[in-house]
Amino acid sequence: MKLSGIESGWAMAALSAMFPGSPETGLEGIAAMDVSGYLDDVMRTRPFRAVLGLRVAVWLVALAPPFVLGRVATIVGLAHPERERLLDGLLAHRTYSVRMLVMLLKTFGALLYAGDDRVRARLRPARLRPLIALRLRGSPR
Amino acid sequence: MKPPAAPAPSAPSAPFPDDALPAGAVVEGDRLEADCEDAYDYVVVGSGAGGAVAAHVLATSGASVAIVEEGPWVHTRDFGERVYDAFRVLFRDAGMQVIEGRSYIPILQGRCVGGSTVVNSAIAHRTPEDVLDDWAGMDLGGGLGGVVTAKTLEPHFDALERELSAHAVSDDALGDNDRRFLDEATMHGLLGRRTRRYEHGCRGSGRCFTGCPNAAKQGMSVTYVPWSLALGARIYTSCRVERVVIEGGRATGVLARAAGAPGRGERVIKLHARHGVVVAASAVQTPNLLRRSGLRARALGEHFQCHPGYGLGALFDDAVRASAAGAGRMGATQGAEITSLRRTDRVKFETLALQPELAAVRMPGVGHDWMRRFDRYASFAQWAMVLRAEAEGTVRSAWGGGDKVRWTPSPVDMDRAVKGVARLARMMFEAGAREVWPGLHGVPTAIRSVDEVSAIERMPREPRAFSFLSTHLFGGARMGTDPRASVVGTDFQTHEAARLYVVDSSVFPTNLGVNPQHSIMAMSRLAATRIVAGGRARNRAA
Ligand SMILES: Cc1cc2nc3c(=O)[nH]c(=O)nc-3n(C[C@H](O)[C@H](O)[C@H](O)COP(=O)(O)OP(=O)(O)OC[C@H]3O[C@@H](n4cnc5c(N)ncnc54)[C@H](O)[C@@H]3O)c2cc1C
Ligand code: SF4
Repeated sequence: MKLSGIESGWAMAALSAMFPGSPETGLEGIAAMDVSGYLDDVMRTRPFRAVLGLRVAVWLVALAPPFVLGRVATIVGLAHPERERLLDGLLAHRTYSVRMLVMLLKTFGALLYAGDDRVRARLRPARLRPLIALRLRGSPR
Repeated sequence: MKPPAAPAPSAPSAPFPDDALPAGAVVEGDRLEADCEDAYDYVVVGSGAGGAVAAHVLATSGASVAIVEEGPWVHTRDFGERVYDAFRVLFRDAGMQVIEGRSYIPILQGRCVGGSTVVNSAIAHRTPEDVLDDWAGMDLGGGLGGVVTAKTLEPHFDALERELSAHAVSDDALGDNDRRFLDEATMHGLLGRRTRRYEHGCRGSGRCFTGCPNAAKQGMSVTYVPWSLALGARIYTSCRVERVVIEGGRATGVLARAAGAPGRGERVIKLHARHGVVVAASAVQTPNLLRRSGLRARALGEHFQCHPGYGLGALFDDAVRASAAGAGRMGATQGAEITSLRRTDRVKFETLALQPELAAVRMPGVGHDWMRRFDRYASFAQWAMVLRAEAEGTVRSAWGGGDKVRWTPSPVDMDRAVKGVARLARMMFEAGAREVWPGLHGVPTAIRSVDEVSAIERMPREPRAFSFLSTHLFGGARMGTDPRASVVGTDFQTHEAARLYVVDSSVFPTNLGVNPQHSIMAMSRLAATRIVAGGRARNRAA
C-alpha cells in the first residue's frame, strides 16, 4: 500500500537530510529526484516485509526527535542540521532494530540517489581531487 | 560415459548466446494461455550452477530434458546498470531475503534463468582437499563412501574449466584496487593472487552483480542452458515447482505453477519424468521443496551453513576505481584474493568493485559528511572478508510458502570475524587508506590511523554489531550413507524416494572456506554422469 501524504512528507524530510546534495561540487540532492514516484514503486514491487519495515522506519524517524534530541517536533519541524543529527543518532542507536530500520531507509534512498543518471555522470574520475581538503566531522560512536 | 563435447566459449561480441534460441525451446510461464502437461526422461528443477550443468550432461547423453525455473529469462541485452531494477528482476525477494537469528543477515540469491550465476562474480575454486578429507571422515554412516573425492571430481573440474574458460584475471581487467591489495598481501607474506574466474573477454566493467552486459561472464544463462536447449532440451521459465510427485516410492514428475498470460489466471504445469527428477533449487529452496514433496528425513533442513561476508570500505588519496581497460572502469568485480588464511584463521579476503548504489549504502553517516565521501567515490575501495563459520542453522518453510532460515554465528565465529576485520583494516591503512569505515556498532564510524584499529579488536563479539551478508549457502539436505544422519545418499538419490536426485550445495556436509560455485558444478556434473550411467545399466538389465 502506498505511503500516505503525511508519511511521504516525513520520508522526504529524512531522505533529503540523508542525501542533501553538495553545492560545492554540483551534485544535486535527492529532493531534485522523483522521490514519491520511487517510494510508490518500492511499496508496490518489494516484498511485504521490506515494505512494512520501510513504513515503520518512516514513522520512527518522524517521531524520534523528542526521544533523541529532546525536541517536541516531528522530523519535518527540524532544521536541516538537526535532522542530520537525529539520523546519525538513530543509525548509531543502542537498540538493534532501530539501527536496522533506519539503515533500511538509507539503503532505499541510496539506491535511488546513486542510481540516478545525473549523479552517476558526476562521479567520473576527472572530478578526483586530493583528500587534503577533507574535513570530516567527529564520528558518532 | 564420454564427457560431453566442449562447446567453444561464447564470444564477447554480439550476437550473444542468449539472443537466438531454438524455436519452441522456451516456455514462458507468464505467457501461458492454458495448463500444460508433457513427459521427458528427466526433469531438472532450477537452472543455476547445479541445475544447468546437470541438464547439459543429461541432454548430451541423448535424454530428453526439461528444466523448470521459477524466475524469468533476463537476456544479456536487457541487463541494465541500476541496482534497484536488477534486484527486482534478478534476485529472490528483490534482494530482501534475510537469515534470522541473533541478528538479521541478508542473503542474496539469483532468481532467474542461470540462478545466482547471473549475478555472481564467477570466481572458480576447486574444492579444497582438506575439506574433502573432512567429509570422508565425518560420521555420516561411513563418510561419503569414496564417491566425492579429489580424484573423482578432477575430470569434472578440468572439463568445466575448459568449457567455461576459467582463468586468472587479465592485466586489462585488473583494477587499481586489486593491484594495491596484491601488493599489500605480498608485504605481509600472504598468498595473494588474481582470482580465477569463468569469463571470456571480461572488460572489467565491475558490473557482475547486475548481470554481465557483454556476456563475458560465463554464467549459466549464456552457457549450459542455451547449450542444453541446442541439444533438444526445453526450459519452462517463470514456473515454480510446488512439489515433486512421488508414486510407489519413486519420483515420477513435478507439479509447477505459473502466473499465466495477463488476465488468464494461474496455470498448472505437470511434467512427467520417465527416469528421474533432478533437484538443484539451492541450499535454501531445495530442503523446503523436498519437504513439500512429502520427505520427512530427520536431517532435512538441518546443518545449514554459510560463509558470512563482511565488507570494509575505505577512502584513499588517489583514484582506485580504475583499470588498465580505461579510466572509470573499476576492473573485474572481484579481481584479487588471499586464500592462505583459510585453514589457520578460517577467513578469505577479497577485493570488491562496488557499483555506485552499493558503495553509497556502505558509506557511513548521512548528510553533508556522507556527500563529501560520496563525492570521492573514485577513491573508494572495498575489501571483504569471507568467514568459514562453524555454526549450523536450519531451513524451514515460512508462513505463506516462503523460506525461513535460522542461523547465528557461534562465539568462536565472532572472535574470528573480529580478528579478520581488524587485520583487513590494518592492511588497508598500510596500503595507503586515509580513513577506513568499519561499519561496526560501538566502533567509530571512520577510523583514521592504524592505531585506531585496536578499537575493533576490543569490541564485543556480538553478531548485532556486524552487518554481515551471505551469498554462499550450504547444507539442509546433506549427503551420507546413514539415512538417520543424512537426506541424500552417495548416489545423489534421496534415501526416501528413488530417482529423486539432489545436485546443489544442499548436499554438502559442510561449508568450504572458498567460493562454492565450482564445487557445486563439479559435484553436479559428477552426479549427472552417474545418473546417465545408472540409467544405461537399468536399460540393459531391462
Ligand atoms: C552476488 C553473488 C556473488 C557470488 N559470487 C560467487 C563467486 O564469485 N564464486 C562462487 O563460486 N560463488 C559465488 N556466489 C555463489 C554461487 O553463485 C552459488 O553458490 C551458486 O550459484 C549456487 O548454485 P545453485 O545451483 O545451488 O543455486 P542457484 O545458482 O541460486 O540456482 C538455483 C535456481 O533454482 C531456482 N529455483 C528455486 N526454487 C525453485 C522452484 N521451486 N521451482 C523452480 N525453480 C526454483 C532459482 O530461481 C534459481 O534460479 C555468489 C552468489 C551471489 C548471490
Ligand atoms: S566485470 Fe564486467 S565485463 Fe567482466 S564479467 Fe563482470 S560484468 Fe562482465
